[in-house]
Amino acid sequence: MYHLGPVDWVESQSIYHALALLNREGLIICYPTTPYVCLGLHDDLEYEIDQFYCRNVGIPLLRRETGGGVVYLDSRQIFFQLVIRQNNPLLPLRRQNFYEKFLEPAISLYRKLGLAAELKFPADIVGGGKKYSGNGSGDIGRCTAYVGNILLDFDFVTMSRVLKVPDEDYRRNLYRAMRANILTLADCLPCPVEYSLLAEGLLTGFTKQLGNLFPRSVDDELCATARQVGRRLTSREWLEMPGRKSALRKVKITEGLYLQAQERAVQNCPAVLVREGVAEAMTADL
Amino acid sequence: MQGEKNKEWNIPRGLLFDSSDCWLKITEETVVGLTDYGQSNIGDIIYLDFVPAGTVVRRGDRCGSIESGKWVGSLLAPISGIIVETNSEAKADPHKVNTDPFGDGWLYRMEPADRKEITHLMNLDAYKAWIQERISGKAKDAEIL
Repeated sequence: MYHLGPVDWVESQSIYHALALLNREGLIICYPTTPYVCLGLHDDLEYEIDQFYCRNVGIPLLRRETGGGVVYLDSRQIFFQLVIRQNNPLLPLRRQNFYEKFLEPAISLYRKLGLAAELKFPADIVGGGKKYSGNGSGDIGRCTAYVGNILLDFDFVTMSRVLKVPDEDYRRNLYRAMRANILTLADCLPCPVEYSLLAEGLLTGFTKQLGNLFPRSVDDELCATARQVGRRLTSREWLEMPGRKSALRKVKITEGLYLQAQERAVQNCPAVLVREGVAEAMTADL
Repeated sequence: MQGEKNKEWNIPRGLLFDSSDCWLKITEETVVGLTDYGQSNIGDIIYLDFVPAGTVVRRGDRCGSIESGKWVGSLLAPISGIIVETNSEAKADPHKVNTDPFGDGWLYRMEPADRKEITHLMNLDAYKAWIQERISGKAKDAEIL
């Protein structure tokens, strides 16, 4: 178990990649000290990101080797990352089936804080119909890495700004849709929650799931591998790898909910919210 | 395609298999796909990507990647050779791999570099046994034909 606390933004991704490549199992709890934008393995940089904006305000980019979409990550989140060997009998043949076990500690933590929380297939944690966190996984080397986070607070403005959008109306609707459908602890609780409390809660939960977790520090081999991996994950060539695009701009808000640009504006709406395949009217309040 | 059922998975005859749940049809050229069991484990496939046609791969090299349920994994070359064509229709509609893994959901065609590598692959009976071993949690590395 690597209880790292605050780490450099690159390390908040590169350490678990390095663990996997070294074929070592482990649980990492950490958070990045500075913000960055993180693309999923199959995201398309040109389609997804307003690189001009990111460059201008100094927000760096990284592409991870796990699924899920583009995320804006900063110090107001806590990450929990589990690396497990693919031949570990704990890991089911169907990777999706492990999310229930992996996310149970976080779900228990939300409940201990007095919040309704449950898993929404495949990997969202939701409460009251809104999303608390999105999570993902990926096979890296001979391991599988599962990555999750808890949002203490979230910068919705910057998130809507870093994404490439067809026009400012779309951006405004994007901001509103995220605000209306994603919840942070700051939204739900009367007082801020300390990182240490959350970390302790997660560790307790993972100990219950996985058995005793032995504290470890980042040794030289792990550090060197993480450094090398970090250079790759942030390299221009890796970031510019082509990925998925659609003809009209489509941003996923939560599982099953998208903001979809329309070819022609309908009722003066150039974009529409699509929930489980059904279009919803966009109102001022959303 | 004619074949026999092993529990709920279709495993056609006339193919060879590897431990990453790839099937190979080896004739003049080699066609590679994911088995019914493989696609079932992966779940609903939402994205597929391949290395470009013309890429030379060694056995075990990454020749594509696949995404399902926020999990991503690599497609690994079952044998060495040159990728001569990738299935653009499956890339445009990855669900084909789920619904027709042995037909329209084929993944890529390749020109094998070394026919001797075929000895690393499994025949139908060996693959069925491999599936059973994994299900019972006693998987080991693939047997030689």
